[in-house]
Amino acid sequence: MKTTNNTDSLKSMGDCLMNIGAELMSAGANTGRIQLTIERISKMWGIKTELMITNRVLLITVFIPESDQFITILKRTLPHAANFTVVSGVSRMTWKAVEQKSTVEQINDELKRIKAMPHYKRWVILLLVSLAGFAFCRNLGGTPTDAFVTFVATFAGLFVRQEAHKKKFNVYLTVLFAALTATMITGLYSKFYLQHTKEYIAHATSVLFLIPGIPLINSFSDLIDGNHLNGVLRSVNGLIIAFSIALGFFITWVIVGL
Amino acid sequence: MEWLIYAEKGFWFGIAAIGFAVLFNVPSRTLFPIWVLGAVGGLVKIWLVHLGHGPVLGTFIGASIIGLLSHLAGWWKVSPPIVFSIPASIPMVPGIFTYKMMMGVIKLTGNPNPIEYSKILTDTVHNGMLALFMLLSLAVGAALPLLIVRKKSGKELQDLLKYRNE
Repeated sequence: MKTTNNTDSLKSMGDCLMNIGAELMSAGANTGRIQLTIERISKMWGIKTELMITNRVLLITVFIPESDQFITILKRTLPHAANFTVVSGVSRMTWKAVEQKSTVEQINDELKRIKAMPHYKRWVILLLVSLAGFAFCRNLGGTPTDAFVTFVATFAGLFVRQEAHKKKFNVYLTVLFAALTATMITGLYSKFYLQHTKEYIAHATSVLFLIPGIPLINSFSDLIDGNHLNGVLRSVNGLIIAFSIALGFFITWVIVGL
Repeated sequence: MEWLIYAEKGFWFGIAAIGFAVLFNVPSRTLFPIWVLGAVGGLVKIWLVHLGHGPVLGTFIGASIIGLLSHLAGWWKVSPPIVFSIPASIPMVPGIFTYKMMMGVIKLTGNPNPIEYSKILTDTVHNGMLALFMLLSLAVGAALPLLIVRKKSGKELQDLLKYRNE
């Protein structure tokens, strides 16, 4: 049997693969991609892996072909936070690693570097996401005033969401808080400025920054790919987020009386 | 004049895609392709709706085009296609239909006056079905090309990296 680097123990290889898998899962990659990435790296090291991937837990058995050695590792993933820089970085790293026959240590270092890559500045995120709210409102036929109110509501809602996230609230509660803030602003605008006319566009588009896009699309790619369990888990997650948004609307309607 | 309206819509579709891209923390080199993909997908959708093919088919074809183009973009900027396809397809989410459906469902829990009730029920089911199928076609359209061309694009990516390292 031939491995490219006999110095690396099975345990360190398994841990490294698990770290990559956990990072990808919490960054928002679909299950097929995680499987493919782990298989590519383990193939390069000349080991075999059997995987079980779920939303919160990864289970891997690593073994050397034609020998009795194997190891099984179970790892909880981190809380999910969309980060496509990690997905993209790991993808590039995998190709480079296969090319250069990287060792465990090199891959761990690279993973650390990818994780430390900067996020966008907070004010940039706030501004651009609010602008997206403005864009939604304009495209669905809102007037410039509607769009501006949506901008303000999205800004406030996202700000509340970030603050709630910092204070480590439950994910669905942070969505509820954000939806409540955004709909409250547009609801008051609809009631007092537009005098109950049918101008619901600002009201409806102010929460669109909360829609669970990654769970939704990944859910379908998992289902089509045959990872039914993960597909269902993701869609349920998306449904609860949608329900939180609806609850935010409902509370606003009760309070404002729309 | 109509072209100006389309241009404005396309611009805003792209901006909405960029907003989500930033929220998902994409690498900054991918922002411009995401803007283009969002604009193209959105424009295809409103064009098909304008031709009278309905929002469901429009969303499906728009999302499929985004899904296919995301492979080209991924090859160009050396990133996985989902980095492009997910933010770019989100601006096509049926916000207004979902909102109307939600409103309708809450009204349905109220007073069951037979004359109003059947009208609300019809409207709610109509809006709900539209929203549901638009969401489904969005997800399927964006995800399907990923599954069809996955292996091949991976190999192309490898060749590209080889070329860059030389």
